[in-house]
Amino acid sequence: MEPKIGVYICHCGSNIAGTVDVEKVAEFARGLPAVVSSRDYKFMCSDPGQDLIKKDIKELGVNRVVVASCSPQMHEPTFRRAVQEAGLNPYYFEMANIREHCSWVTESRKEATEKAKALVSAAVRRVFFHEPLENKEVPVNPDTLIVGGGIAGIQAALEIANSGHKVYLVEKEPSIGGHMMQLDKTFPTLDCSACILTPKMSMVGAHPMIELLSYSEIDFVSGYVGNFKVKIRKKARYVDITKCNGCGTCMTKCPVKIDSEFDEKLAKRKAIYTPFAQAVPNVTVIDKEHCTYFLKGKCRACEKFCERNAINFEQEDEMIEIEVGNVILTTGYKIFDPSVMKEYGYGRLDNVLTSLEFERMVNSAGPTAGHILLKNGQEPKSIAIIHCVGSRDEKYHEYCSRVCCMYAMKFAHLLKEHVHGAEVYEFYIDIRSFGKGYEEFYNRVQKEGTVFFRGRPGEITDVAETPEEQGKLIVRFEDTLVGKMRRLPVEMVILCSGIEPQADAQEMAHKFNISCGKENFFTEKHPKLDPVATMTDGIFIAGCCQGPRDIPDTVAQASAAAARVLALINKGKVEIEADTAIIDEKKCSGCRVCNLLCPYNAISYIEKDKVSRINEALCKGCGTCVAACPSAAITHKHFTNAQINAELEGILV
Amino acid sequence: MTENAKTTFLDEVAALPACDRINECIQCGVCSGSCTTVANWEYPPRKAIAMIRSGLRDELLSSNSVWFCVSCYLCTARCPRDIRPAAIMHGLETLALREGYKPPTNTTTMYRTFADSLIGNGRIYEFGFMFKYFLKTNPLAALRLIPTAVSLLMHRRMPLAPPKVKGRNDLDKIVRKMSEGGER
Repeated sequence: MEPKIGVYICHCGSNIAGTVDVEKVAEFARGLPAVVSSRDYKFMCSDPGQDLIKKDIKELGVNRVVVASCSPQMHEPTFRRAVQEAGLNPYYFEMANIREHCSWVTESRKEATEKAKALVSAAVRRVFFHEPLENKEVPVNPDTLIVGGGIAGIQAALEIANSGHKVYLVEKEPSIGGHMMQLDKTFPTLDCSACILTPKMSMVGAHPMIELLSYSEIDFVSGYVGNFKVKIRKKARYVDITKCNGCGTCMTKCPVKIDSEFDEKLAKRKAIYTPFAQAVPNVTVIDKEHCTYFLKGKCRACEKFCERNAINFEQEDEMIEIEVGNVILTTGYKIFDPSVMKEYGYGRLDNVLTSLEFERMVNSAGPTAGHILLKNGQEPKSIAIIHCVGSRDEKYHEYCSRVCCMYAMKFAHLLKEHVHGAEVYEFYIDIRSFGKGYEEFYNRVQKEGTVFFRGRPGEITDVAETPEEQGKLIVRFEDTLVGKMRRLPVEMVILCSGIEPQADAQEMAHKFNISCGKENFFTEKHPKLDPVATMTDGIFIAGCCQGPRDIPDTVAQASAAAARVLALINKGKVEIEADTAIIDEKKCSGCRVCNLLCPYNAISYIEKDKVSRINEALCKGCGTCVAACPSAAITHKHFTNAQINAELEGILV
Repeated sequence: MTENAKTTFLDEVAALPACDRINECIQCGVCSGSCTTVANWEYPPRKAIAMIRSGLRDELLSSNSVWFCVSCYLCTARCPRDIRPAAIMHGLETLALREGYKPPTNTTTMYRTFADSLIGNGRIYEFGFMFKYFLKTNPLAALRLIPTAVSLLMHRRMPLAPPKVKGRNDLDKIVRKMSEGGER
């Protein structure tokens, strides 16, 4: 079949045509070898644009197509489909990027036009050597792995499990629940956080389609969309999960007291413990680092009193391997540690709290049974709440944490409710109350008499300058709306610490072969149009691991991720791109260099034939093996030497 | 920028050394809240920046704000946008002087006498420096410092004779080189 090439130059409105002389480029393309048709059009991606291509294929016998327009990331699938609909193999298509690579980054019209010509000439010469390829289909395993058992993971797990598909929910802590379990009320409706979360938690615990792997961590991930293999480390609990019924006798008998992580170190827990009363699973775990038996070799009090013989000091970490088709990462966040901001005195001054500490304190199941108390056991009469601690600050995190304004106002409301006659002051830079019912909540808190000062305090000090300031915490700030300097003595300060990525976010991203942005939140496939997918097919993200967000947004995102997974499960198969590497077994010397280099473990050595072979489903077409093969036995389909040389030649002439 | 476009006060300040991030100020007030001398300022630093943006040139440059900045740099250390407020304050001092505004403090006399003493002696000569400073400003104010001076003298912490420094000629060359073409 003699190549007949059709070239189509897109104006992209003025995006390209504003800088590139598209007509000149089209005229130039007309003179290139084997080109039978060259046109320019306002929007090639539109239906009439695609019809131009289809018409030329049918009427002029065009059998190779070049579209010079945007990035292949945007519209390669569109044009491949158009070519296919006209009866050609979709791989008889090549895209020249004259927008991102040319018009958007070149100022001079002359230079941009010349560059566009070079890119078109390269694509035309390359497409000459294109060969028809067939995409492969692989089946999708209907099981799903969800990593992280906070509200995002719980929501996604229930959505998928309720559709009748198996879910493995992995949580590194002894219980699911995440940060939401630590919160007292939720803004703006003031639902009790635990009351709305625990029913979902127990549903997860009891669901026949959910296998809950608590106190477990991801060890190793291999495979590809539809067919992942995941190794999971089930950390030793030293308690037999099948025998323990959560009666709690061991916790009362254990002599060791340690700061409770769940209560932000404001209360104590035992060395054998469940993080909180409604834990799911309701099974204790022994904290090996603090257990007297593990430290000194004797005690075993828990073992003596356990009626069900559930304690097992000989338990070891267990590795299990599961196979799943899709993964949803819902690994959440941690809060910013304000002790690095010395000016606010956290950790140095008494009665300066973080937001999460206050959540525990105001909670009726918390360390003070819901009483707001100073270190001396008395109720504070005046409280300052400081917004934007660690957020909107280039020294820490440039971004806005999105939840602090709202929870700060929730705190003001709760303070007015819990402490009779409390004076509450909010120190803000800008109030961001953008959600449904949020602005109304702001109005409500204003009505309740909370005072709003616009200005971020410079410092909190305990050095008094007047008798009224004696024994108080003094907030030094400028009331910026008045332009006056103020010193405000208060008894308690709450720092609204921002949201930051988990410490192991990068490591986790690496395990699942996805990427992290500048701040270490996971990167979505497209910030607007594909917010729960990642660049790795079959790996989805939801909740704060992708960026700061509140509970309603997290739940919506988790459901969205579940919907994406269900779509893949329902279809039952995925198409794998045909541009993989292939080994010419006649040339292969069996040296196995490629086996070691392949980042996707797609190449294996066949002992019987003394050659290496590539698993096309695993191959991502990265080209590493092609470059490394000393016998030049490996070819990258759709990136053959002939194609690449022709492309280079096209750029250079 | 085209030639006939009017340069705003904001543009003027932004062009001063290390003041280029002034556009990014979010007016949070951390600079004011951190400032150690702000009690004396007519306009706190946050407001001074707002006034620069509003183009209130004469009002700000003729005020006593800015001149009380003692370069403790707390504002700059804490600014969430890294706009370096201290640099802006010093930039405004330079601008006010260049425009002929009379400083409300003795800051400039202090700087000038200090620099003269340094250049003249090669090292700071406290006795001569303070003597000249008070002569130029308010000789009576020096009386208040007599007990301190006596104490310093008795502990031999303030020599009466100027310090002897080796290589004075080389220092002169450096100073001359630095002064070439620019204001001293």
